[in-house]
Amino acid sequence: MNLAQMLFYVMSFIALASAVFVAATKNLVRSIFMFFITLFALAGLYVLALADFVAVTQIVIYVGGILVLILFAFMLSGRETLNAMALQQKQFISIGKLPAFLLAALFLIVLLNMIIKVDANNLEWVKKSIESKNDIPVNAAMTEDIGVGLMTRYLLPFEAISILLMLALVGAAHLSRKGRGA
Amino acid sequence: MNFYITYFFIAIGLFGFSALFALFGVYAERKISAFIQDRLGPTETGKFGSLQTFADILKMLQKELIIPAAADKLLFMMAPAIIFIAVYLGFAALPWAPGLVPAKLNLGLYYIFAIISIETLGILMAGWGSNNKYSILGAMRSAAQIISYEIPAGFALISVVMIAQTLNLQNIATQQGILSPEKVNFSGFWDVSSIGGIFAWNVFRAPHLLIAFVIYFIASLAESNRAPFDIPEAESELVAGFHTEYTGLRFALVFLAEYSMMFLVSMVGVILFLGAWNTPLPNIGAIQLANWTSGAVWGILWIIAKTLALVGIQMWIRWTLPRFRVDQLMALCWKVLTPLAFACMLISGIWRLWLM
Repeated sequence: MNLAQMLFYVMSFIALASAVFVAATKNLVRSIFMFFITLFALAGLYVLALADFVAVTQIVIYVGGILVLILFAFMLSGRETLNAMALQQKQFISIGKLPAFLLAALFLIVLLNMIIKVDANNLEWVKKSIESKNDIPVNAAMTEDIGVGLMTRYLLPFEAISILLMLALVGAAHLSRKGRGA
Repeated sequence: MNFYITYFFIAIGLFGFSALFALFGVYAERKISAFIQDRLGPTETGKFGSLQTFADILKMLQKELIIPAAADKLLFMMAPAIIFIAVYLGFAALPWAPGLVPAKLNLGLYYIFAIISIETLGILMAGWGSNNKYSILGAMRSAAQIISYEIPAGFALISVVMIAQTLNLQNIATQQGILSPEKVNFSGFWDVSSIGGIFAWNVFRAPHLLIAFVIYFIASLAESNRAPFDIPEAESELVAGFHTEYTGLRFALVFLAEYSMMFLVSMVGVILFLGAWNTPLPNIGAIQLANWTSGAVWGILWIIAKTLALVGIQMWIRWTLPRFRVDQLMALCWKVLTPLAFACMLISGIWRLWLM
């Protein structure tokens, strides 16, 4: 087992263990901080997959942005709301949790199905793109490739996402505004 | 295996440097504040009070580590470490001289930007873990401030990156002097590739980068929680903000992080705008000042001198300007700096397309 593989297993273990802790713990704040470790381990896995730009973006957006905003919302909400959340029904199986259970089970089946069926070492489309030289070598300039890709081939989805974000921004501004009489 | 040992040595060296800088920085801050306020500052311990910070560190090492009874112990203990490590990791990508950089990342600038944002998390952790109303107020103010000021800082940085066309800090540094592989123009018209010196620095490559530098500098003050942006630790309202409950070594770690952060943001500013390790002296005809004063040792000397000058300006500003109110702080960020930074980015794009 070489160093890269060892790192992969260590980081996957950290990611999985911290994710389980995030879902299982009763202490909400600690689960948010533990989520930070999950995200960091995921960033490490991205680096191992040679996607360093994605790894850094993961840290900028999720750790620096979203996680801090979650904490912010958490700290702004009153103690009563938090207590009510902590006092949720304790039993593991109950009728209220049925939809969540169903969703999780279905997702697990889909994932297992995919993992068993896929043959990761010789995928059809990977072979094809290597044959037609449509692949990026390890030492290529990733950032430039991503930038050029976003502005040419994936321009439409990129613009669609920016319109979506713009709508969210306008909506948030509208909601937080003190309405005149509204 | 040899290069792993080198990595360890470099990491320890950087840690030693940041600790040394914090010691020196605290002393300098005391002396500068004393000078500005017409006092004497530390005078008793050592010659001119120069051993004062060593004495303070010795005192802090002996102090009891108090954990408040109602605190979340784990978060409380981990927070100073996370705050410091976030800043310390940033040092990994900073170039010190031609060919002398701890980690040659082609995403260097983006990496530093990402790593710095982790500090916010540590501050929130400290605030929540302390279970103290002053701490949590300070932490929330700090987080709001850092998130807001990341936007103008980020766009000021992007306007440089658009001119430089790379995120690799070493390449950005190389472009600003006589060692540049491409043509360098002083504000777009005068070719200074062989003259170098102060004319080749990024602030003078395009006039709007001077504005971008000022925006970045103001935002970096806010990101390192320094006055006039020190509402997270406003002594007159919040005791000491997010580190109210910390004692002894943990408090020292928070302090170390603050001073390392000052050095880090100043050094990023120097690398991006003020010519990094390039000499300020130009070649004038036969007097090849720039050629004589370039090289590894000169590089380290220049970059440290420039960074310390910026840190000095940070201290000067801290002891001159009064603290901003929260609404003034946000108004400055969103109504002045952010639109200006956007304008800089736009001009950068036009500049790169039509003038370079």
